[in-house]
Amino acid sequence: MEKVVIIRYAEIHLKGKNRGYFERVFAMNLERSLKGVRHELHRTSGRWLVAKFPEEQAEDVARRVSKVFGVHSYSLGYETGSTLEEIYEAVRLVAPKSGTFKVETHRGYKQYPLNSMEISAEIGARMLEDNPALTVDVHTPAHTVYVDVRQNGVALVFGSYGAGPGGMPVGTAGEGLLLISGGIDSPVAGYMMAKRGLVVELLHFHSYPYTNEGAKEKVVALSKILSAYTGVVRLTTVSVTHIQEEIHKKCAAELNVTLLRRFMFRIAERIAKARGLSCLVTGESLGQVASQTMEGLTSSNAVVTLPVLRPLIGFDKEEIIERAKKMGTYETSILPYEDCCTVFLPEFPATRPKLERIEREEGALDVEALIAESLATAETVRLD
Amino acid sequence: MIYLDNAATTRPDGQALSRAAEEAFQHYFNPSARYGGGFLVHRLIEEARSRLLASVASAENYELEFTSGGTEADNHAVFSGARRGNAVTSAGEHSAVYESFVALRGRGVEPRFAPVRRDGSVDPERLLSLVDEKTTFVSVVHVNNETGAINEIGALAQAVKEKNPRCVFHSDGVQAFGKLPGKIPPAVDLYSVSAHKIGGLKGTGALIRRKGLALPPYLFGGGQEGGLRSGTENVLGILAFSYAAERKFGAIQGDHVRVDGIARRTRARLEESGLFAVLSPENGSPYILTVACEGVRGEVLQRMLYDRGVAVGTGSACSSKKPHSRIIEACGYKKSVLDGVLRLSFSPETAEDEAAEAAEILCNTAKELKEKLS
Repeated sequence: MEKVVIIRYAEIHLKGKNRGYFERVFAMNLERSLKGVRHELHRTSGRWLVAKFPEEQAEDVARRVSKVFGVHSYSLGYETGSTLEEIYEAVRLVAPKSGTFKVETHRGYKQYPLNSMEISAEIGARMLEDNPALTVDVHTPAHTVYVDVRQNGVALVFGSYGAGPGGMPVGTAGEGLLLISGGIDSPVAGYMMAKRGLVVELLHFHSYPYTNEGAKEKVVALSKILSAYTGVVRLTTVSVTHIQEEIHKKCAAELNVTLLRRFMFRIAERIAKARGLSCLVTGESLGQVASQTMEGLTSSNAVVTLPVLRPLIGFDKEEIIERAKKMGTYETSILPYEDCCTVFLPEFPATRPKLERIEREEGALDVEALIAESLATAETVRLD
Repeated sequence: MIYLDNAATTRPDGQALSRAAEEAFQHYFNPSARYGGGFLVHRLIEEARSRLLASVASAENYELEFTSGGTEADNHAVFSGARRGNAVTSAGEHSAVYESFVALRGRGVEPRFAPVRRDGSVDPERLLSLVDEKTTFVSVVHVNNETGAINEIGALAQAVKEKNPRCVFHSDGVQAFGKLPGKIPPAVDLYSVSAHKIGGLKGTGALIRRKGLALPPYLFGGGQEGGLRSGTENVLGILAFSYAAERKFGAIQGDHVRVDGIARRTRARLEESGLFAVLSPENGSPYILTVACEGVRGEVLQRMLYDRGVAVGTGSACSSKKPHSRIIEACGYKKSVLDGVLRLSFSPETAEDEAAEAAEILCNTAKELKEKLS
């Protein structure tokens, strides 16, 4: 008998001829999530098993795989022989101490001498005999003990299901560049796209010395949390200080943010293309702030050709916060920091900027030179 | 790097540190141990205590209790001294005192805050008007940590006691100790000091207490520090503190005159530039020179200066997570001034020519930033 983590996957089974590819990427991501922990990973029909890990690390193994996209659910349980004695020995380890229960058996190995009902009945009877504090309730039990009889004289026994994050394995849907600010939204946007299989690289704009090093450290902290879901993350930071100064000096104040965002998108697209990434991802949500109106989004889109994915576009702030809490970035996101957009924030930013006017204002700037200068400040770190 | 943030912390005194480190390494025994080594360390601590105390008070009238720093000394004073009625302090106190006073409310003691004058000093009349027969505790900072204004704590303590003789008078002396010549005035009952502002290590401080003043313990445990502050003594910190203080006090008069000259010239240069308003009073501590560059954010200027090799402060480092300095705000300045506050603070190590160079860099940088923002 051996402690194992049983992993069931989400949408992959829907993939027809590409299924093998999805499974390979999924296995690779599982392996990466278990880096540093001794283990073996096996595929059995429709499931993955993590085995041969040090027993005291069982919880850690479960916690790590619970963050891998593509995992539908996972269970901490035992792999054992398939005789009733062996099964029962494992059941005792996961059985509840008291209350109502039922035994649910799945019998993949159809040649087994007992059918699933008979196995459940037999195991249940032994449990009742051993522990008078238990009662059977097959309709609404407080606890369920699961027995899964497999081929080759092997059975799996476990006491509960943990929900995985679902989604598709990261790496099966291309690569994109996430614009990450340090606020609540962008990490959630990255999470959601990674959940659909996108490899997410990160890009952060700062305007040192108007913003401080704390803002950058915060983004690194957020990126590390995100990387638990997305695998290795590369974070690039770029200074837009001089761009902001030039906009401030030469353009209409109410268009500050709109113009800055156009620069950000241009810079992001150049970095994305240089690295072979095929889309930009932002945490924008329609109408959340002045620059996220339809006109604002249009003016940013106008300067790029890559698709811009905005997974939060239809979300309320509260929904975003809820997700941020769930994925574990919220507490870090709300730490005080300075967003570079707030440094030269006008009192009344334009909410419906006309593209024509924006382009006219932008005419006062040497756009290409400013972009080149900004790109020269790029620094990239890997967050392993 | 030209370091002008000495009110936040000073570079440890190398000689004091190596001597202390050598002794602490060699005599690593627990000072409470009942064998020879323990007694030896105990004696080293007691010698350090005597040296430190002798620098500002007579051992006949005062005792000294080591703490983990100025903040703990202030907390101990406030929470052990103010236990009923009301307690009076000023709006110009360091957060260690100010926030302790705010917390008194939850302990059934009414905190009262006297306003400060434009330069951050306490107006004695306003303060005294808050003291009544129910006042049990008064605390006034010796040197305002943000403006450098000096409060006449001797006269204040005297006046407070004339009004209510049962009052305990405390002063936070963190920015005065080892910098202003003179002894603790006789009417002052409690006085907080810190090591790392005068070349000692962070994590060490002391509360100096008038003999006979009964204070309840602050930390309970093994009974160290006369039972007032339990916990195995920070031997390295205490020794380094005493050696650093010994060196500072040995040169305190000369240093004061020299730093005063540096401060005056720096003040004149910054004022003459027309870019800065000086908030520190002329007759304050020469170690602190607070200025404001109106229309820019001090923090931005601070980072630009750091990149150009000059480290300065913006308000008290302990409160720099808040947008404005509470103390400068209490002085009555408007927001555009509060935004642009910079604190230059000197030490005896500050060289004349580096201060002059820093003043030039300050003027050039402020000018450049103002142009960018105009």
